[in-house]
Amino acid sequence: MKRSAAEIVREYGPFAGVEAVHGVTYDGSHVWFASGDKLSAVDPESGKIARSLDVAADAGTAFDGRHLFQIAEDRIQKIDAASGKVLGTIPAPGGGGDSGLAWAEGSLWVGQYRERKIHQIDPDTGKVLRTIESKRFVTGVTWVDGELWHGTWEGEDSDIRRIDPETGKVLEQLDLPAGTMVSGLESDGGDRFFCGGGANGNVRAVRRPRRG
Amino acid sequence: MESLINAAARALAAGDPLGALNRVALRNDAPSLALRGIAMAQLGDLAKAKTLLRSAARAFGPREAVARARCVVAEAEIALVSRDLGWPAKMLAAARTTLEKHGDVANATHAGHIEARRLLLVGRLDEAERILAELGTSPLPPAPQVVRELVVAGIAIRRLRTKDARAALGRAARAASLAGIPGLTAEVENANRVLDTPAARLITHGDERPLLLEQVEELAASDALVVDTFHHSVRRRGTIVSLGTRPVLFALARALAQAWPADVSREALMASAFGARHVDDSHRARLRVEIGRLRAKLKPLADVAATKQGFALTPRKTRQVMVLARPVEEKHAAVLAFLSEGEPWSSSALALALGTSARTVQRALDELARSNKVQSFGHGRARRWMTPPVPGFPTGLLLPGPLLKT
Repeated sequence: MKRSAAEIVREYGPFAGVEAVHGVTYDGSHVWFASGDKLSAVDPESGKIARSLDVAADAGTAFDGRHLFQIAEDRIQKIDAASGKVLGTIPAPGGGGDSGLAWAEGSLWVGQYRERKIHQIDPDTGKVLRTIESKRFVTGVTWVDGELWHGTWEGEDSDIRRIDPETGKVLEQLDLPAGTMVSGLESDGGDRFFCGGGANGNVRAVRRPRRG
Repeated sequence: MESLINAAARALAAGDPLGALNRVALRNDAPSLALRGIAMAQLGDLAKAKTLLRSAARAFGPREAVARARCVVAEAEIALVSRDLGWPAKMLAAARTTLEKHGDVANATHAGHIEARRLLLVGRLDEAERILAELGTSPLPPAPQVVRELVVAGIAIRRLRTKDARAALGRAARAASLAGIPGLTAEVENANRVLDTPAARLITHGDERPLLLEQVEELAASDALVVDTFHHSVRRRGTIVSLGTRPVLFALARALAQAWPADVSREALMASAFGARHVDDSHRARLRVEIGRLRAKLKPLADVAATKQGFALTPRKTRQVMVLARPVEEKHAAVLAFLSEGEPWSSSALALALGTSARTVQRALDELARSNKVQSFGHGRARRWMTPPVPGFPTGLLLPGPLLKT
């Protein structure tokens, strides 16, 4: 396993009226983050909030190219990114113990926090297709270039780790400074991760290590 | 961190404990237990809340030090609100240190405020002030700001600085309306009522009138000679003669001050100071001795002159003599004063606050209960006492803080 210190390249926020960030995603131009009663889109260049949607947003956030998916209480809402309308909901696999959310390969991937699990579910029905065990409390989840990464937070320590989607084995780990929290994770498809900062209400950009 | 926990915490922060309970009622993981505990506390079931918070603290893993510290803080607040003053303050201090070390400033501040409120309640004003100073003066979010200002006001009231108290309560009211939590607003209104209710009676020239706290403060600054039944002292401005350990001398001083400028007969003095109904020569001899002692004590402030039938007070450097007395003078006034703030007290907590024995307090409470001036609920160690006209259970500022937020 490769282990190194996470390199924080930029911090966004704090934002007015945002007490905590629960989930993040990226739609190709904006970073969306969930903060309890709304979803907000931040321009990663200016760091300013471009728009906000009033929806319940308690945990992970994901984007499938057209829709935003947002965990609220014990369900996952499918939201039209343009209008902010909730198009439908499916039950969350953790029954409310859910944290991170990612979209990849036609499935939704849901982190179940204290159970230390990641579920792959059918985005239309919520049916659990398979479950990956992790070693730590799972926060955010993301897929990039065929790699499954997730955030952890346990005992006041956070890291971002790449795991083997078959075995759950940790392949690579980026440690965040002590007390710095990852509460949501998304890759921009390039060399950046966007991470929710939990109760400090910030969103951070962390460098993704390059292969080869 | 978890969806439903975040949603429930959001409901709690918005003052909706039932909404929070709805979301976690059937869950027994550590964060749910903690949330249920806090919700039960806000709903007034303090016993259940305590049990839930204890189990939550146990259920959190050994590495989740911050989560466990938050449970300790919540339990400490419940202990404070239920006037369980024997609760280990050390645990709270340790929890506060843990929270500070991990950068959870909000909850560390909350813990400090609980410590300060406990110290204020038991009259340790200097220590309460020191804790507030440790917490710093940086701006706080509205809800904790209310708590801080209430502690500041409480200290100012007990120190007889009404201007400071009113200023702090003004800031508290503004913060409470910003916070939008009705319980906090009610708390500030209650505190304001203290300033608008007569705090004392002034007896002078055989006449008496009620005094607001502000007028008591003015009196302290005036050049009148004041016999103060609150502190068992005689004073004029900064010159204070304490008679706290000399009840007979104080009774004599008070009798003389109340009659001033007239004199008081020997018989009346003996009756009020010794409780003597039938006066004999030994009483007369004792009165002479006690008057001599009082004269020596009061030397910087007044002379005690012999008259034809008794004694009279002659104040120095002033033409005013007054007695400052409690608004209602009756037996066990001190016990009633503590209960009249509307919170339930255990007899042992009252004993601690009053600095007397639990036995003495228990006797006073039994007597007051017989005349329907106080009432109790609960049994055994959980028994609590309060004055009857209580408009529901006051929140006592219970846990408005973001105790569960990640």
